[in-house]
Amino acid sequence: MAMAYAMDLSPPTFFLSPTPSSLRRLSSFPVSTFPRHSNRRLQILCQATAGTQPQSQSNLSDSNSKLAARSGQDRLLKVPISKIRNFSIIAHIDHGKSTLADKLLQVTGTVQNRDMKEQFLDNMDLERERGITIKLQAARMRYVYEDTPYCLNLIDTPGHVDFSYEVSRSLAACEGALLVVDASQGVEAQTLANVYLALENNLEIIPVVNKIDLPGAEPEQVLREIEEVIGLDCSKAILCSAKEGIGITEILNAIVERIPPPPETAEKPFRALIFDSYYDAYRGVIVYFRVIDGKVKKGDRILFMASGKDYFADEIGVLSPNQIQVDELYAGEVGYISASIRSVADARVGDTITNFSRKAESSLPGYEEATPMVFCGLFPVDADQFPDLRDALEKLQLNDAALKFEPETSSAMGFGFRCGFLGLLHMEIVQERLEREYNLNLITTAPSVVYKVHTVNGDTTMCSNPSLLPQPGLRKSVEEPYVKIELLTPKDYIGALMELAQDRRGEFKEMKYIAENRASLLYELPLAEMVGDFFDQLKSRTKGYASMEYSVIGYRESDLIKLDILINAELVEPLSTIVHRDKAYSVGRALTQKLKELIPRQMFKVPIQACIGSKVIASEALSAIRKDVLAKCYGGDISRKKKLLKKQAAGKKRMKAIGRVDVPQEAFMAVLKLEKEVL
Amino acid sequence: MLRTTSSPIFSSFRGRPKTPRLIFKAFSVLLEDSPPSARRNASTNLTTLHQGPPTSAYVHLPFCRKRCHYCDFPILALGSSSVSNAPYEERQEEDDPRITNYVNLLVREINATRTCFDTNPNLKTVFFGGGTPSLVPPKLVSLVLETLSSRFGLCPDAEISMEMDPGTFGGEKLKELMGLGVNRVSLGVQAFQDELLKACGRAHGVSEVYEAIEIVKACGVENWSMDLISSLPHQTLEMWEESLRLAIESQPSHVSVYDLQVEQGTKFGNVYTPGQSPLPSETQSAEFYKTASSMLRGAGYEHYEVSSYSKEGFKCKHNLIYWKNKPFYAFGLGSASYVGGLRFSRPRRLKEYTKYVADLENGAANWCGDGNVDLKDVATDIIMLSFRTSKGLELKEFGEAFGRKVVKSICKVYEPYVESGHIVCLDDMRKEVMSDEFKKLVGNDEKKIEDHVRYLRLRDPDGFLLSNELISLAFGVISP
Repeated sequence: MAMAYAMDLSPPTFFLSPTPSSLRRLSSFPVSTFPRHSNRRLQILCQATAGTQPQSQSNLSDSNSKLAARSGQDRLLKVPISKIRNFSIIAHIDHGKSTLADKLLQVTGTVQNRDMKEQFLDNMDLERERGITIKLQAARMRYVYEDTPYCLNLIDTPGHVDFSYEVSRSLAACEGALLVVDASQGVEAQTLANVYLALENNLEIIPVVNKIDLPGAEPEQVLREIEEVIGLDCSKAILCSAKEGIGITEILNAIVERIPPPPETAEKPFRALIFDSYYDAYRGVIVYFRVIDGKVKKGDRILFMASGKDYFADEIGVLSPNQIQVDELYAGEVGYISASIRSVADARVGDTITNFSRKAESSLPGYEEATPMVFCGLFPVDADQFPDLRDALEKLQLNDAALKFEPETSSAMGFGFRCGFLGLLHMEIVQERLEREYNLNLITTAPSVVYKVHTVNGDTTMCSNPSLLPQPGLRKSVEEPYVKIELLTPKDYIGALMELAQDRRGEFKEMKYIAENRASLLYELPLAEMVGDFFDQLKSRTKGYASMEYSVIGYRESDLIKLDILINAELVEPLSTIVHRDKAYSVGRALTQKLKELIPRQMFKVPIQACIGSKVIASEALSAIRKDVLAKCYGGDISRKKKLLKKQAAGKKRMKAIGRVDVPQEAFMAVLKLEKEVL
Repeated sequence: MLRTTSSPIFSSFRGRPKTPRLIFKAFSVLLEDSPPSARRNASTNLTTLHQGPPTSAYVHLPFCRKRCHYCDFPILALGSSSVSNAPYEERQEEDDPRITNYVNLLVREINATRTCFDTNPNLKTVFFGGGTPSLVPPKLVSLVLETLSSRFGLCPDAEISMEMDPGTFGGEKLKELMGLGVNRVSLGVQAFQDELLKACGRAHGVSEVYEAIEIVKACGVENWSMDLISSLPHQTLEMWEESLRLAIESQPSHVSVYDLQVEQGTKFGNVYTPGQSPLPSETQSAEFYKTASSMLRGAGYEHYEVSSYSKEGFKCKHNLIYWKNKPFYAFGLGSASYVGGLRFSRPRRLKEYTKYVADLENGAANWCGDGNVDLKDVATDIIMLSFRTSKGLELKEFGEAFGRKVVKSICKVYEPYVESGHIVCLDDMRKEVMSDEFKKLVGNDEKKIEDHVRYLRLRDPDGFLLSNELISLAFGVISP
């Protein structure tokens, strides 16, 4: 069960919009802090490997490994454009992408055998603690095929398919892709989504069935599935076991034989596609790119066409897998630039780099601005931490162009920020980093989506904050974002998933069997219904076997209302939510009941109400404390009593006053959590 | 306004270390925004009150027959099997070496108590608490009183109270004690129902209660108090009313009514949860408190403190020392003293207490404060103690000692509770200031408040019933 759960844990995608590449780093850095999303990315030890002797500890023959290592050490040597192959690997989490990539690096001598054994395969905790790992974003390998040296560039795609914009940019930097499918698991929803992205980018796709050595392997059936579901010709598919080293050479050969070389455009003005970038505290932003046309030299003045910023390229180099400086990169090659760039927002994924003095006529297609789709309020539990929170958000933003925030004040929570995220995973990562790396204690309001509000005077406004929703009398209609969602599931769970989708206001579109035992369900439902615990529900209702993928399909009008919570007749703004009218009653009941449990009784009776406008739809009452008296101060010993009173006073201090009512922070948090669940 | 964002009104202030000679002028500095220098030398009553030499002493005599089920005091259970049926005068407590040894230790402690005061006024009150002090043979009580007298001096009209339990004394013993100077008896009746006394593990029954009342009266003790406990397991309102009625009928000059506290580590604590059967519900329990207040007040008792009622002129002088935040000595196992600004609790275990006494004799133990006090601590002490009394918190003195700003903040935080009637606000004639007027005053400047509001007190019984909640609100003002 644990395995099955881990197999398919990548969270859903919550946006169709661009994604900052830096997020990948966000997500990969604290991997172990997100066990739910444990996506083991390629991790290579960053240390000098030169001079180390290869040791034959793999099951490759001695001479092979020496030969490979020799060619590996020549990997900086230039080859003609026709001998370059740029490819990525598409795989579902745990289908073996990391292992396969490791093996490719090992066989081509890019990483020494010994390092692989001793360092790379070490457990991640240790590596992370020492802070010595880097993520493989791209790796340049040298491979000699029929006595001709080739330069192979593996460009990593983000593990979380959530960041689909990023994936599409990574794929756009390649001419081909390996589609890796687990021989015992079959095709998963996110794999599917990425393959479609690859096909849109006209990539040559090489199907690879991995883990054929495992007892449960059914490679034939998986191949049939790939043919039926994706429509790929699997006659030349490769069966492999990355772990056992089976089929690796075949894969390398197929890359050379089947993936087309980049076009010969070295003479054109310089254009390069950014597929990743991250902020380095010492060097500024490091940009990873693929040269599409022309060439770039160290010291060139470069221009980022979308952001309009220009810099001098202080350092250019290749990733192999650690950064190695070179003097020049030309069309077809993959490398990095360091140019003292201050913020990743200046050099975003998808942007085109050109030469400042010999500008390209047009930028490369496909660039999109980051548009936050999910919003929530972040408030420090301790009001003193507000400046720290601001500083932390500013720092995170250096590395995360999609993170948006603006100050927000709330009667209950004090000062905080309303933050926009690309999706729930993005939100979770940011919160986690703020709490862990910046030691902040935060309260998060329920995530909300962006509503499109048509007012009676004909205006259209976008609204992401329930407390800013115009009064009912002022609005003509409200639209909410909808998503198209595709669920892949074993047929036993079809019923459970249909029930889930119906609960979430899903509109059934289509169902088809993709294999004898597996079906694909297509629904359209409001994004707001997905930002809660939809994915968790999906997993728990299918014992972890189902996978999903979605994309936003636009706005639709809905019967949405603002649900307010009143405590002792005082509106508690942070608890206001926008819900569909049909759900208002159940949500209102759940919230008032929860609050009744969580708010300590006061010296007077406290009504707790859920309202739509002025209409109360659910109501509870907290009875008054009748007695709280310490009867005796025996023998004048007041110290214990005083301690109790002090504790009681401290307890009040941790609460937020809503009018006369002291509401503990925990109550807010629990209710916000509940909102995430019931909405 | 957010509590968490409000700026602290007090900053922690420590008076400069003083020589013992000077400690009583240690601090009287305002802790508000105005420059403190203006008042630096203006000693005020409140902050100096407790700094003088004590004139009260608490003496702990920890012996009991057995531990009651609700009790978590430092006591030493003697056991009662062999003697329970013997008449009081023939019991063996006279010769119990445990008692003799303890009293000798106690005497050593009193003798080793060196004060650091210029003057050494005679003691005005002595309180023998326990335990069951009435189990201690009069000749040992005499030894203690003699020691106190020779060490500190004893006013001829000193109030000397002793806690006595029914079934532990006879007329002769009481007379003997009275001959030694004991002039106030606090009788631990607790309830007038055998089943309740049994359920809480008392060593006596109702018949011993009546007997004891008779003895007290026959001996002519004018100043005597009866202890009752409300909210006992299985107690009903009818039983409680009966207890109160019978208490009133026996005409004590003072009644202490304690609401049962279920303490961790006691038998009750292990078995019962407050508010849950067989303990009365919170509502019932509040009803008990209100009933006591109305019945006793109806019978001519003044409800002068959360759990104390007295006929005119019979307030417990010793306990008033506590409520007024005045200093007092304490001797014996686990007892707590308050001298020189320091609240000090002695060890609760006999072995450690023995060592403490030895340390005291060597000069190694310190129980006397040197005047270094945290003003916040003093302020919270005063608040918590004053609000226990019907007199309430005297705002003028308090403002002089801790700043008018603090007074204003306290008024502000209490405003809703003046409105709800939990807190009573009084002018200097002790006339009630009505809530709308109070509201207006709070909106005004500090001076105006001072001119019109002199006392804040908890209303009897609604405010007293919620005293913890209300007092902790003021604590929040002192330490935001």
